[in-house]
Amino acid sequence: MSLFPFLTAFGLPMVLALSLTVPQGRALVWRMIPFAPLPALALALLAELPLNAQADWLILGLHLGLNDVSRLFVIFTGLLWCAAGASARHWMRDDPRATSFGVMFLLAQTGNLGLLLAQDALSFYAFFALMSFASYGLVLHNREAQAQGAARLYISFVILGELALFAGLALGAAQAGSFLLADLRGTELPDMAVSLLIVGFGVKLGIMPLHFWLPPAHGAAPVPASAVLSGAMIKAGLFGMMAVLPLGNVAYADHGTVLMAAGMVTIFAALLLGVQQSNPKATLGYSSVSQMGIMALGLGAGLMVPAAWAAILPVLVFLAAHHALAKGALFLGTGAFAAQSGFAGKLAVTLALLLPACVLAGVPASSGSLGKEALKAALAAGSSVWLPWLRVALTLSGVATTLLMARYVALLWLHPPKTPHPITPEGVLLPFLALAAASLGLPLVWPLLAQTLASPILEGASGAFWPVALGGALASGVAVYAYAQRIGPALFVSHLTAPFRAFGARVGSIMTARRRAARRLGHAVPKALGSTATSWRLGQTAIAGLIALTLTVEMRASLHLEAAIPPAPQQGQPSSQAP
Amino acid sequence: MTDAPLLPLFILLTSLLASPVLFALPERAARLRTAINLGMAGVKLALVAWLSLKVAQGVIYDLRFEVLPGLEFKLQADPLAILFIALSAVLWLITTVYSVGYLEHGPHRARFFGFFSLCVAATVGIAMSGNLFTFLLFYELLTLATYPLVIHRGNAEALRAGRIYLIYTLAGGLVLLLGTLGLWVLAGTTDFVPGGVLADVVAQNPRAAQALFVVLIGALGVKAALVPFHAWLPIAMVAPAPVSALLHAVAVVKAGAFGIMRVVYEVFGIETAQALGVTAPLAMLAAVTILYGSLRAITQDDIKKRLAYSTVSQVSYITLGVALASPIAAVGALAHLIHQGLMKITMFMAAGNLAEGLGVKRVSQMDGVGRAMPGTMLAFTLAALAMIGLPPLAGFVSKWYLAQGGLAAGQAWVIALLLGSSLLNAIYFLPMLHRAWFRDAAPEGAGAPGRPRIGWMLAAPPVTTAVLVLVAGGFANAPFSPLEWTRFIVAIEYQE
Repeated sequence: MSLFPFLTAFGLPMVLALSLTVPQGRALVWRMIPFAPLPALALALLAELPLNAQADWLILGLHLGLNDVSRLFVIFTGLLWCAAGASARHWMRDDPRATSFGVMFLLAQTGNLGLLLAQDALSFYAFFALMSFASYGLVLHNREAQAQGAARLYISFVILGELALFAGLALGAAQAGSFLLADLRGTELPDMAVSLLIVGFGVKLGIMPLHFWLPPAHGAAPVPASAVLSGAMIKAGLFGMMAVLPLGNVAYADHGTVLMAAGMVTIFAALLLGVQQSNPKATLGYSSVSQMGIMALGLGAGLMVPAAWAAILPVLVFLAAHHALAKGALFLGTGAFAAQSGFAGKLAVTLALLLPACVLAGVPASSGSLGKEALKAALAAGSSVWLPWLRVALTLSGVATTLLMARYVALLWLHPPKTPHPITPEGVLLPFLALAAASLGLPLVWPLLAQTLASPILEGASGAFWPVALGGALASGVAVYAYAQRIGPALFVSHLTAPFRAFGARVGSIMTARRRAARRLGHAVPKALGSTATSWRLGQTAIAGLIALTLTVEMRASLHLEAAIPPAPQQGQPSSQAP
Repeated sequence: MTDAPLLPLFILLTSLLASPVLFALPERAARLRTAINLGMAGVKLALVAWLSLKVAQGVIYDLRFEVLPGLEFKLQADPLAILFIALSAVLWLITTVYSVGYLEHGPHRARFFGFFSLCVAATVGIAMSGNLFTFLLFYELLTLATYPLVIHRGNAEALRAGRIYLIYTLAGGLVLLLGTLGLWVLAGTTDFVPGGVLADVVAQNPRAAQALFVVLIGALGVKAALVPFHAWLPIAMVAPAPVSALLHAVAVVKAGAFGIMRVVYEVFGIETAQALGVTAPLAMLAAVTILYGSLRAITQDDIKKRLAYSTVSQVSYITLGVALASPIAAVGALAHLIHQGLMKITMFMAAGNLAEGLGVKRVSQMDGVGRAMPGTMLAFTLAALAMIGLPPLAGFVSKWYLAQGGLAAGQAWVIALLLGSSLLNAIYFLPMLHRAWFRDAAPEGAGAPGRPRIGWMLAAPPVTTAVLVLVAGGFANAPFSPLEWTRFIVAIEYQE
């Protein structure tokens, strides 16, 4: 297999990044940015698998390839970069640092796509480093104090991760006697190497306690950059663990325990931290941290019981795609919200944002719900001690995510995100809607894309509605409570009773009106009757009738009276014979 | 067996003969001087390329003149020598271009280029020395030829730096003379032979052999800037930028590191040295130097001083790789001889450009210089990232091999050391990159608007070497890459 398709797959973004430095070509390059991932997407969608290519003379021997799993990663990653690129084009149009952003965006994209294709440890590390270091420019982009702090934190963690990764890969390669990822996966790596690799990739994945950089960075970066940071790039950590660790071959009970425990803590601690944020994008960042906790559960279970990995792997890939699309949509939607100027527009975007938010929270039949249920099923093959806890954690994670999403939507209105300068709303709205639609349609498309890897999702049950409902109820309750606390309980009670009082007042006023109307009627009826009566001489007629009636009755009464008393002189004569 | 047995001599003479001619030229004859400089550098490069091809085919060049009975002046061209000569030939050409641009209207150009040529001749001589005696001659010549370059500016600071430089290096030279005599007494020869000449001595008199090792490494450690003999290097950075570039990348520190290689591999022999128990302390010394240099670099605000401390740290990677006594680590060490040269020369030339074009000499003045001098800073950035060890740049290849070598030798602490060093590198290089690219130039600052005017002779060399940094790493597995060549050498030194 020739190297050419691979080189174009990550080469196009790199060439575009380089051409962006030439002032004459900038306008054209910005037009092309949304299409930069297309060669990679085409490769992933059209190529016959498995695909391998190598160039011995590059670096220490460059090996590239594509398999069932990496193919799916390339597809959703590429899609996200397309949407983010389309959004960035409009978002950056009047930005004075647009060129710098574009170069870093494309370099990070090169790294992200390249690492998915890498089959040897060195090129993987090279692409991973390129992606991580280029993203520094994305986080720092607006140069505000907040961004400076976030960027410093980010780069510190990147260096920590890179060092851990270098050491882990070096130890692993020494043990395996080869630096091909396939050989690393097949070798019983030393515990130290596994720990270092988990730390190295865990930083990117944002598993606690390595998450500190993530929410500030995702909050500080411009919207299109946060979308790819949160949607695509943190998945590189997940992909890295899948690509390098001997999952499914060797059991690492301790590492698995640590990873699962960290995952559980992450899912819920991220909720507690996330709801305290006042920046909607930082809340989304914490939601990502929380979701990556779910990934950590799966990875930990796979490390602990290798036999379970075959079932877990396809589910994690699905969850990664699910999270990438939904979270990407939410971030781009935040930008679309900010770009709207009118109330109606903001409301419409909010309603549209509820779709990916619900998908992420796991409304039944959405990808979130299907993925979690499939993961529960897959974990059944793993450690039986952990299983009940994992199930509880996974179920409750739906509550956590719903709460975070509710907080996010509330923050959108309480602390509306701002755009650095006016932005054409349509330009950023379309990529958002496209991703939201992709996120909704994922369960339908997945069987076509993933083929055999989709079976756990197809066979899995759809989850229950109650976690989301509970989350929604809790969120509403909390919102009400917070409102009450803010304005004071007495006022709140008066607010609460206000509708009733208003209703009462309304009813009272209606009654008064009715009474008044009745009174008016009461006054009006006799008069009307009188006039009619006058016109018909009813009065006289009635009196005459009455007199007649009285007379008749009286007469009949007196007749009966006469009949009842028999006359003494005339014995035996019936009264009826009387006239 | 060879069709041109005098080839090594010709290579030596290209720069050695150029030197008196350059001295003799009048100050005004700038064009002629440039023509001679570049012409000779070009000729040398061509000859070195030819020599490399021959050596790669297995030809060994060996030239001897008996000076005293039993004491020979010996030139040889083995693969290890080729490694160093090739580095000096390529970088000499590039640095010459840069120097011509840098000193375009400066004073004393005849003197400068004369000594410059002599300095390169000495370096080539060191590379091709076939025994320690010849090595000593060229080693001293190097000291004397670089002194006038260090004090070229002639001000008080330069003279002070020159004095300190001279004290350190002459003392080192004296000790090396002592060591050479000692070797001659102990082994009866001073020849460099793969596998070493001291196996018998070590067996009979290990104490004497250990003492000899300490003396030789101590003497060479001065130029290789091993702690505690490093102090001259950061002071000598007052020299003009091309001199610093050459000193740090090729000539002086590399002569020391190269000497350590020759001593460990071809005087003692790696197995003998290991049996003697001297490699582990040497590795520890190198480790200390690596960390110490980086720690000191962090606090330096002067760009060249920061780079100088970085050199102290980076050159010791070479010593470390040699001392780890593992063929894989040796590949890393030898490759680093080239890689460090390429990276550091790029950075010094870039620093020179910043000073020339923008008047920026301190890290704190670097805000926004990336926008003002994109080419220069891009070169600097590549070199800095390579130093940190990011693939596919050259520095990564060295680090990867050192790490693998350390593991193969059962010395896992090397990984921790490399991580620490990379971390420190990141701590002192990344803020420079951050300032250059992500900060806006201060309105009154040195990097303020008004496009700087630096000629192509200043702009092109760092970009060229930065491309070489990328190529040396990116095509590390291609034939004739530094890495491939070092594998060839290591196969010889480890007698596989």
